[in-house]
Amino acid sequence: MIPLLAVGCSFRNTPVEVRERFAFNPEKLVQALDLLGQRYGAEAVILSTCNRVELYVAPSDAALGPDVERIAAFLAQMHELPVSDIYPHLYHHQGADAVRHLFRVAASLDSMIVGEGQIGGQVKRAYETAHERSAVGPVLHAAFQHAQRAAKRVRTETGIARGNVSVSSAAVAYVREVFDHFHDKTIVVLGAGKMGELTLKHLRQLNPKRILVANRSPEKAEAVAKGCGGTAVRWEQLDDVLAQADIVLSTTGAPEPIVTRERYKGVLAKRPSGWPVVILDIAVPRDFDPRIHDGDRTFLFNIDDLQRIREQTLQGRLKHVAPAEAIIEQEQARFLSEWGRKKNGPIIARLSQDFEAKRQEIVRQLLAKLNGKYDDADRAQIEGAFRLLQNKFLHGPISALAEEPPGEHRHTLLEALRKLFGLQDN
Amino acid sequence: MPAELLGRITVFCFAASYAVAFAVELFRTFQARPALRWLALAFTGAGIVAHTAFVTVNKLPLQTSFGSLIFLAWILAVFCFYGAVHHRRLAWELFVLPLVLGLVLLAQLFPMGAPSGQSSGGWQIFDFEDMQFWAVLHGILMLLAFVGISVGFVASVMFLVQTHRLKTKQLPGQGLKLWSLERLEAMNRRSIMLAFPLLTSGLLIAAWQMFGMPDGGLGLENWKVLSTVALWIVFAVLLYLRYSVRAGGKQVALLTIAAFGLMLVALIAVHPFTPGGAP
Repeated sequence: MIPLLAVGCSFRNTPVEVRERFAFNPEKLVQALDLLGQRYGAEAVILSTCNRVELYVAPSDAALGPDVERIAAFLAQMHELPVSDIYPHLYHHQGADAVRHLFRVAASLDSMIVGEGQIGGQVKRAYETAHERSAVGPVLHAAFQHAQRAAKRVRTETGIARGNVSVSSAAVAYVREVFDHFHDKTIVVLGAGKMGELTLKHLRQLNPKRILVANRSPEKAEAVAKGCGGTAVRWEQLDDVLAQADIVLSTTGAPEPIVTRERYKGVLAKRPSGWPVVILDIAVPRDFDPRIHDGDRTFLFNIDDLQRIREQTLQGRLKHVAPAEAIIEQEQARFLSEWGRKKNGPIIARLSQDFEAKRQEIVRQLLAKLNGKYDDADRAQIEGAFRLLQNKFLHGPISALAEEPPGEHRHTLLEALRKLFGLQDN
Repeated sequence: MPAELLGRITVFCFAASYAVAFAVELFRTFQARPALRWLALAFTGAGIVAHTAFVTVNKLPLQTSFGSLIFLAWILAVFCFYGAVHHRRLAWELFVLPLVLGLVLLAQLFPMGAPSGQSSGGWQIFDFEDMQFWAVLHGILMLLAFVGISVGFVASVMFLVQTHRLKTKQLPGQGLKLWSLERLEAMNRRSIMLAFPLLTSGLLIAAWQMFGMPDGGLGLENWKVLSTVALWIVFAVLLYLRYSVRAGGKQVALLTIAAFGLMLVALIAVHPFTPGGAP
């Protein structure tokens, strides 16, 4: 069995007020990695995100390595909490189960939003941090590198990561479906609603030519413009400003639509005809009359459209969970098989070397007794016969080892081989 | 490859390759597996190899409908392959391969034309003996213009599909992967800009050549002449709409599709340079 233990808590079984007490900041994380190595001689990776805190530990000596109780005590010490506060929230996975859990986490199958892209990067960073602290050895190197490969397969071979699951990312995705480049584009921001902050942040990352901010309150317009590197414009200029816009982000708190269909006709009349505009109306109540969406010159997306995208995306992702789980199963089996081969390799090599040395010794003694009463052909025959005998002896144990699937039986078989043939670990 | 083997390559060989590549690509929209992309590329590549061999061995005369359609399909197949390699996330082959297949199938409605060395007075793109320089130049210019129109057609169809998706507010980034409206419109614009001077030059050469023909006159009763002139007019309107009126991308896309239709008429109509009015 692969000596891997995964212990932790996540959003599934632990409320956020408890999770935040277990979380590791960068300094504490480094300290914990060093301590785990010193205290237990164990390889360790700590994954600490807003949704989970997990320790992946691979002890070099199973007897001395940490178990769940020891990890709970260790966490209690690190966070200066009583063990009784921590222990009930911890789950654990061991051996093959721990491998599967790690692969599922990395592939975002265990995430709050299945298929979200952040966790892959977080797993990678956790592994890199541990690697920098020399806390990673052969087990965790192999497991985390394979986990990243498995996650990549899940992302590329299933549709689990497709689509947008936040209003702001859905809004930007729509904008990107219309426009290709943004260095010559004008973004107009209406209002100063909190809801629009994240969307505006995403839009700013597109590096538009300019951002114009209009608000009924000039002070608020100035404040928003200052925050996003834009220019405040007077509310009275709204129609002229809209006529210059490529992208409109509207987040006002107006109780009625600001831009009616009739008013928008006037805006369109001021715009060149072949110039489309994307309007992201995330205000509630809506700021733009929905009838202005014509799918030719004007593309209007309101909060319902964007939230519908989120729901449809999540629904769509659920269809891909089963194929993704199948990939994880495959990759887990592949990893364990590779691990088994890597683990058995030295045993087989030692067995072969041992037999080879004994064969050569016996042949040498026999040839010495014959005292030169043989020719080259006789010598070749003698050596060939003993080599054949050696191969026949070795064939049974090596085949049995290769054919035995990873698990408890293989472990027993390895132990038996060690004892039967007197093999010592180097 | 031995000449005998090359001689056995038929239209079916490369059409079947393209059809399989299209089917694989279609399947890939439902099952996103990297291996399927390579499979589709392999079949498109195999189709291009067979297509190239067919065009080379048969020395197709460009002034026949069969020759010009097969040759245009070949250029578009190469364009398709290039696009599929460079834009792996885009549903490129789904749009270009049906066009290639359509042109190949359309060519099947017409006779292959006189094989190499048996033509009487007609010029062939690969047979430079006894060629008429201006006729060859006319053929090449028209063919390149047709490539531009075909690319504009693909961009226009993609543009309309993308517009429809946005109009009906479909999930962004799901289903067919397409470029943004702005990029598709730019692709269409560039293809029109490239095709128009080529088409104009080709037409001027043709007009000059026809004045020198024994029966003289422009032969306006000829469908090829009529449709090509109509194509030129549509192009002039397209440029006017794009640059003077700044018409919407949808209007320009629809007009480009109409231009492509006229191009097909011009391609299948009897060529005035063909002696005896063949095909």
